[in-house]
Amino acid sequence: MTRYAYYPGCSLETMAATYHVSSMEVAHKLGVELEELEDWNCCGATAYSKVDELLATVLCARNLAIAEKQGLDIVAPCNACYKNLWTTNAAMKRDADLAEHMNYALEADDLRYDGRVEVSHIMHAFVTEEALELVRRKAGERIKGLRVAPYYGCQIVRPRRPGVELAQVESPTYFEALLEAAGAVAVAYPYKLRCCGAALMVTNRRAAVQMLRDLLQSAVDAGAEVIATACPLCQTNLECYQSEVNRAYGTNYTMPILYFTQLLGLALGVGVKRLGIGKELVSAEAVVNRPCVPAAASAPGGA
Amino acid sequence: MAIATPARRISFREEVENLLHAEEGVSLIRCIQCATCSAACPAVEFMDHTPRELIALINAGMKDEVMASNTFWTCASCYACSEKCPEGIRPADVMYALTRYSLWKDTFNRDWVAPEFSRRFTRTILRTGKSYEPGYAPAFIFEGGFPGVVREMRMAVRLLGKGRLPLLPSRIKRIRNLRAMVARVLPLDGIQ
Amino acid sequence: MSERKRVLIVDDDPDFAAGIRAILDAQYDTAVMHNPEDGWDALQKDHYDLLCLDIMMGRGAEGVMMARKIRKDNVLREMPVLIITGLREQIAFLFPGQAVHPGFVPVDELMEKPVEPELLLQKAAALIAASEARKSR
Repeated sequence: MTRYAYYPGCSLETMAATYHVSSMEVAHKLGVELEELEDWNCCGATAYSKVDELLATVLCARNLAIAEKQGLDIVAPCNACYKNLWTTNAAMKRDADLAEHMNYALEADDLRYDGRVEVSHIMHAFVTEEALELVRRKAGERIKGLRVAPYYGCQIVRPRRPGVELAQVESPTYFEALLEAAGAVAVAYPYKLRCCGAALMVTNRRAAVQMLRDLLQSAVDAGAEVIATACPLCQTNLECYQSEVNRAYGTNYTMPILYFTQLLGLALGVGVKRLGIGKELVSAEAVVNRPCVPAAASAPGGA
Repeated sequence: MAIATPARRISFREEVENLLHAEEGVSLIRCIQCATCSAACPAVEFMDHTPRELIALINAGMKDEVMASNTFWTCASCYACSEKCPEGIRPADVMYALTRYSLWKDTFNRDWVAPEFSRRFTRTILRTGKSYEPGYAPAFIFEGGFPGVVREMRMAVRLLGKGRLPLLPSRIKRIRNLRAMVARVLPLDGIQ
Repeated sequence: MSERKRVLIVDDDPDFAAGIRAILDAQYDTAVMHNPEDGWDALQKDHYDLLCLDIMMGRGAEGVMMARKIRKDNVLREMPVLIITGLREQIAFLFPGQAVHPGFVPVDELMEKPVEPELLLQKAAALIAASEARKSR
């Protein structure tokens, strides 16, 4: 059984709690053990780097040090958390002066980081060969044939992580592989790596709303029935602010936005409620109550 | 008598590159003005200078125009520009360096939401160790006028009903240590 | 006449650095570097009797990083370090009314911008003299 230090990130506590519960359910089904990182702190998001890059680094360094103490590699469900932890890890491994200074700061919490942790996005834990094979074997009919637009987002692939093949930065395919292993149809659309606007939803609403409009239209054009996301901010933007897009552009989008773990959970037989489906402002009923879905007997957790 | 120093005053481009001394991008002088960064940028329409223009301004030494620009505060940090630049320039890193510099130099516009949001976010983490969305509301809630406030409140109520809005901030156990850590990095009296 | 003492100024603000240099030029041989990396290289190449160091550069409070690195170096730890910082103003938007916490800045002396030329010359002379006295003991 693979074990990871699980770094939920601030949004997964309340705003994106459904991502948390569905990740836990999927991990359990796939034999992945997630041990929450002890007393983890915020990764700093993008705001900290705008303000002070050394502070941004020290926030992440603390989490890395705690994971090292727990003796585990980190998985993070949020694109931004993943990116921040990964880049801090790389910076501390590459820059001895930075590492020394960060460790001086970490002393204040009786911590030290010596570069022994690897950081992944939680999706990476579910797209290993073994995991994909397990998904193929265990997947039921719940999302069979469902047309899903896999929305990676931006920071899950950028900035490029050295060691990652170019193709996986320019046009990654593991999200599609996961969806297809689960029986869904991953639709191709040009904006799968385009930013959702992230914090611009707060700091420059008009910009973010336009970016969301582009994404939604792109998914609609590709015939998607649902957009699957890998980041709480992407999901919140696309879903909670879909009405803002409609208001600003006179459109009528009603596109369900679910976490990839919720879709995966459905495929693996986890019940709708246990996956937190039903908490959306844009209803996902169309996904859950598809006509081709066989009787509820295939969902042991109850619909 | 001067030793070991260039006799001329450094250019604004070099001033910006000094900010980026620890980053991995190449010199801004390599910019060929191909505008690939601008084409890749999803927020470009909302910037007073496109990424390409900003780099041209930096290279031309137009410090005042650059420092007063909203470009780097409108950047979403998606890194599309850095990924696509054929020369190896990292515009996304330039944007971060300039937001920091504009704060240190106090050249940003205090009416903008982005700096105020960053301020609130920074302080929230130092208070509790974690983010707390409702705390940022004052930074942006009035941007859409009264109708905007009503819409935000409506959404907040709906989210609250679904259990998706945090009521109370969440606090880490060793917040005192976190603050002490931060004080070692940014030596301010009040953080400890 | 004895050789002039050498002062290195490390500050990312070219205007401020030029100002400090103008004050010190009369009595000292001065060099200016605008980022900590170049500053460290200069310290490796030549001997300096005094370092005037800024705090906020590049990623953040890199002056503190540099000061600590100097203190850990067997040779450079003997060199007096004078911090000249505008941290209070630079960080005022984020942390209004916050002063520099001297406890976390391992240097001989700390001055806040703007600098009084007379005071700077006094402190520079005093720091260099104190360092000489230590060496001759």
